[in-house]
Amino acid sequence: MKKRLVIVLLLVLSLSVLVSAQEVPVQGGTFRYGTTINPRGMFNPVLYTESYDAYIIDVVYDGLIEVDANLQPQPKVAKSWEISEDGMEITFYLHEGIKFHDGVELTAKDVAYTYMTILHPEYTGVRYGNFNMLEGAQEYKEGTADTVPGIEVIDDYTIRFKTIRPHAPLLVSFGYGILPSHLLADIPVGELETADFNLNPIGSGPFKFVEFLTDQHVTLEANEDYFFGRPNIDTLVFQKVSQDTIPIFLQQNRIDFIEIAPDQFLQVSEMDHIDLYVYEALSYSYIAFNMRQARFDDARVRQAITHGFDRELYVDLIREGFGIVANAPMPQASWAYTDEGINPYPYDPELAAQLLAEAGWKPGADGILEKDGEKLEFEFLVPEGSRLTEQMALLFQQNMEDLGIKVNLMFMEFSAAVDRVDAREFDTFTMSWSLAVDPDPYGIWHSTSLWNDPGFFNDESDRLIEQGRLETDIEKRKEIYAEWQRLINYELPTMFLNYGVSIGAINERVKGIDADPGPYGPLVGRQLLTTIWLED
Amino acid sequence: MWRYIVRRILLQGIPVLLGFTFLLYLIITIAPGSPVTHLRGVPELDTSVIAQREAQLGLDQPFIVQYVKWLGRVVRLDLGLSFDSARRPVVTLIGERMPATIILSLSSIILGWGIGIPVGILSARYQYSIFDYVITFFAFVGISIPSFFFGLTLLYVFALKLNVLPAGGFFMAGEAHTFIGYVRYLLLPALTLGLGSIASVARYMRASLLEVLNEDYLRTARAKGLREKIVIYKHALRNALLPILTLMGFMLPSIFSGAVIVENIFTWPGLGSLAIQAVNERNYPVIMGINLMFAVLIFLGSIIADVSYAFADPRIRYE
Repeated sequence: MKKRLVIVLLLVLSLSVLVSAQEVPVQGGTFRYGTTINPRGMFNPVLYTESYDAYIIDVVYDGLIEVDANLQPQPKVAKSWEISEDGMEITFYLHEGIKFHDGVELTAKDVAYTYMTILHPEYTGVRYGNFNMLEGAQEYKEGTADTVPGIEVIDDYTIRFKTIRPHAPLLVSFGYGILPSHLLADIPVGELETADFNLNPIGSGPFKFVEFLTDQHVTLEANEDYFFGRPNIDTLVFQKVSQDTIPIFLQQNRIDFIEIAPDQFLQVSEMDHIDLYVYEALSYSYIAFNMRQARFDDARVRQAITHGFDRELYVDLIREGFGIVANAPMPQASWAYTDEGINPYPYDPELAAQLLAEAGWKPGADGILEKDGEKLEFEFLVPEGSRLTEQMALLFQQNMEDLGIKVNLMFMEFSAAVDRVDAREFDTFTMSWSLAVDPDPYGIWHSTSLWNDPGFFNDESDRLIEQGRLETDIEKRKEIYAEWQRLINYELPTMFLNYGVSIGAINERVKGIDADPGPYGPLVGRQLLTTIWLED
Repeated sequence: MWRYIVRRILLQGIPVLLGFTFLLYLIITIAPGSPVTHLRGVPELDTSVIAQREAQLGLDQPFIVQYVKWLGRVVRLDLGLSFDSARRPVVTLIGERMPATIILSLSSIILGWGIGIPVGILSARYQYSIFDYVITFFAFVGISIPSFFFGLTLLYVFALKLNVLPAGGFFMAGEAHTFIGYVRYLLLPALTLGLGSIASVARYMRASLLEVLNEDYLRTARAKGLREKIVIYKHALRNALLPILTLMGFMLPSIFSGAVIVENIFTWPGLGSLAIQAVNERNYPVIMGINLMFAVLIFLGSIIADVSYAFADPRIRYE
């Protein structure tokens, strides 16, 4: 009897410990977020291009919406929105009483200023492409109009955006931080990029900017008056860490969170106070074929090469299992991913040989495949700097040799390699893409797009891509993209190598994280920095 | 003396710097790769942006126009704006990182010369003793060991295993700024960077002193009954130090370039990472600014070395 009571008491005790540890956030403390590259000091949401500047921008500013762990838009500064029947009008209803860090209220005027700046003729940033379908945007950009009918301030807390055609990817583009127009409207847009403001940012977000020390750290403090509730931590530090010393920084408790490299996984997993999370990233690596060349214009050749490369071995051995073999350009982390009707192209040298034979490539005297007197020999352009990529290239070369294909490796410094790709002076090359929230493949795959490096000009693909942009119903969009993926999966303008996987290392003293992380990790990007708390 | 210095600067320095910057600008502009490569990371980029950015940075102009414009600004002591998205002045970018680089380089020089010279002297004085052999052995190890390996080893031992020194950085946000605190961060990188200099200075010092010790005038000094200490420290050392002064001039740039690797390992906020990043991104104004600064420093260093000869060696006079 007594014994049972003790057990019950113990249970109650442990439950109460659980409750206090899990559910009652503690205020205070400093959270250190590790980054391997220092920000540039462009803390302006419409002008930055480096993701490391975005770290600071994410917590200093709030956007109309924010994107959750499932890549879906959620209300932020806008408490709600309405999309018109035809999909061409989005009306945002703003919260009343949101204040910038200097105490001035955020209104629809600030939202209009932020997006008008992006459309301005003298705007020097890179975001115009996200909004060029707004009504009147092109005329304004070209200087033939002074106003943009597509951006309409209805009242202080209502703003309406109109497009010239339905544009499904638009909604999630409204996550950019809202700038305080009262501080910036007097600065000519062409001079905005050198404004002092960019180094002393003022937004309406959960943290106030304190200090930026080049190549050392950025310090921010909790915004006591944050509209959505003061963050639990007092101080947030983005700490620069050299890639090689990440494990030591973690061991010494000098950082609370950082993304580590696959080859650091084992060492860090031995640290008792560090928890590791592995999650799919919105990225993929590929080998592109130059389809402008006759030999790569035959789908059977591209398929054969894909069958002939042991990508499973590459992921398991070279990437030590940190990666997922890819067969289409939509990562598993994206809502548009599908595996229905997708050929996995398993490693099958015999099938590869058969496909090549069907395409007319026969072994020559020296064992190298030939067709019409031309040998199947090509250059493989490999940007330097990643050990994993270089090892992959060697494996590829060896696998191709087994097929009777001669691959000449060309290791090249990244920027120089990009020059060759831009000039279309390549046979094949390897690189990877980090993708945006919306799965719209237009920028990389449409035949008119800048980054259509393989030279994939396919009417059916273009039609599906355009249709996907026009369709605002997400279920129907999914179907369109599934069909498109099946097309790409058959055509293989590039061989897909693997979807990226990230590894987040987080100190166990950090509570309130997303323990089943999506592509943005256990802190959902920087969103949970507002609600996490530190034990002790 | 002053006339000599002015003449060196006007007749040698200015033409050399002009030629150097011209060639450098030519090389970096004809090298493959473009300063707008990073726009590749933006899938939704509007086609107009690349040309607009190139025009804004002046990349649409011929090389010679770009160079002359750059030169025109430099004459007004303006190194221009960095090409990266933050468009900060190059002078600021360099200025922010100078203190860390100077502190690290100075400490490694002090370590190198402060330890290397006495060790070299003792090694020469007790030539072929156990001490000499041990020093010679460690000097060879010190010269041949790559700094990234030595640095990571130090980190492994002192930061990871013993946990007595920080894993890198200049200091952490929120820590008190104390002298001891700075020294704790400085110790490992300075030792890593200084190791090579300690070893090579010790070797040079030993060789130079041994050479002098065989000179006739030292035999004379010994013959007239001077104590060995006075022979070495008063008569021999002053002459043996002359070649070491030259060495100092040569070693200065190599210390800065060695710092690139050490800074990277120890998360040290110096010029090294800026320089590497600028080269990778084809950030012309930053590449030019850093190189121009080093060219001026090396040139001034060579003047100082020449002038210091005049003080150390009475046979040398500049007129």
